[in-house]
Amino acid sequence: MKTLNRAAVCTALLVAGTGACNAAFAAGDSAAGLPQLKIETWPSQLFWLAVIFGLGYVFMSRVVTPRIGTVLEERRSRLDDDLARAREASAEAATTRAEYEASLEEARAQAAEFARKASAEALANAEAAEARAAKRMATKVGKAEDKLAEDRAEAESNLASVASEAAIAAAAQIAGVKATAAQADKAVKASAAALARQEAS
Amino acid sequence: MASEGMHSPVEQFEIKRFIEFSAGGYDISFTNSSLFMLLAMVVGGTFLTVAMSKREMVPGRLQGAAEMMYEFVADMVRSNVGNDGRAYFPFVFTLFVFLLFGNMLGLIPYSYTFTSQIIVTFAMAAFVFVGVTIVGLVKHGLHFFSFFVPQGAPKVLIPFLIVIEVISYFVRPVSLSVRLFANMLAGHTMLKVFAGLAVMISGAGGIAMTGSLLPLAALIGLTGLEVLVAALQAYVFTILTCMYLNDALHLH
Repeated sequence: MKTLNRAAVCTALLVAGTGACNAAFAAGDSAAGLPQLKIETWPSQLFWLAVIFGLGYVFMSRVVTPRIGTVLEERRSRLDDDLARAREASAEAATTRAEYEASLEEARAQAAEFARKASAEALANAEAAEARAAKRMATKVGKAEDKLAEDRAEAESNLASVASEAAIAAAAQIAGVKATAAQADKAVKASAAALARQEAS
Repeated sequence: MASEGMHSPVEQFEIKRFIEFSAGGYDISFTNSSLFMLLAMVVGGTFLTVAMSKREMVPGRLQGAAEMMYEFVADMVRSNVGNDGRAYFPFVFTLFVFLLFGNMLGLIPYSYTFTSQIIVTFAMAAFVFVGVTIVGLVKHGLHFFSFFVPQGAPKVLIPFLIVIEVISYFVRPVSLSVRLFANMLAGHTMLKVFAGLAVMISGAGGIAMTGSLLPLAALIGLTGLEVLVAALQAYVFTILTCMYLNDALHLH
């Protein structure tokens, strides 16, 4: 509506203005007013408008629009085709990728399992070896302790007989008493016990 | 000098007969107006045909321009009329090409602008108006007249509103034709006035001639504006045709 108003105002102004212009500039010019308003030119314009627009319409509707329409249609279907193909390829790529990832995952799991087994086996081996070594050690230590105990018992018994002999000799020399082996043994044992008590306290 | 000094700015709209014909007592001579109608159609049609001659899948510049024109009008019809507007697309397209090339060719110096003739624009607007009314009547029968009854209006107002609607309906061909005619008339008159002014000042000679640079600069600016107006008015005429068609097909 705004454009219409503007156009109407423009027209009114122009009709008035060009009238004034005509009056001012075209003194002696036979044509007054707008040439558009000369009714005698109208039949010719209407006739040629009808002929030219009519022929033009036939040409546009038979030749031009179908031609452009087909080209656009072909392009569209070709694009759709290409798009469909691209979509297919993309789906295929996605499947391949998924497969690859699955196999990778499987391999990874296998490797992990393998590593776990290997480490368990190694651990078991190590434990077994340690146990064997400990056992061997224990036997060795036991033997050594037995030997030690034997040696000690022998030394102790030797010590006791040496001590009773020494006691017999000491009693004969100091008191002139002839002590029997049994008496000497008893005295040695008693004094050893007294010594042990003394040391303990 | 004084006798040739300045032509009337509306002299450019004068009809000149090139080949004289008459039929049934009417003068139907081939005139400058007819020549440029023919040129608009021939140049437009040739452009569209030559541009599309290669039918390339990847369009070049020329083909791109032709396709752009087609798509432009096709989108206009699609968005304003909808799918049942397809049948009218060739007409709307012809109308747009005719007006666009007519307006553009008219801007070339010494050419003629047939869209500045009220009888031409009115004939086209009247054709659209009558055609659209017939389309509406054929499609909807008497129900078509419900178009003039605004929906949801208070009952008391309805008689007044019907009068207003009927008037606004019958004003359509007038507004449609006057809009194009007046824009072309005003634009071309203005161009001529400034051009005449530049010529007149330069006729003064000497240093005063430099004063003609001002209207010349204005003329350059106005020419750019007129190119815009030429395209815009072709578009406006076409889109309003689409809207009227939509009203007739869908009754709002």
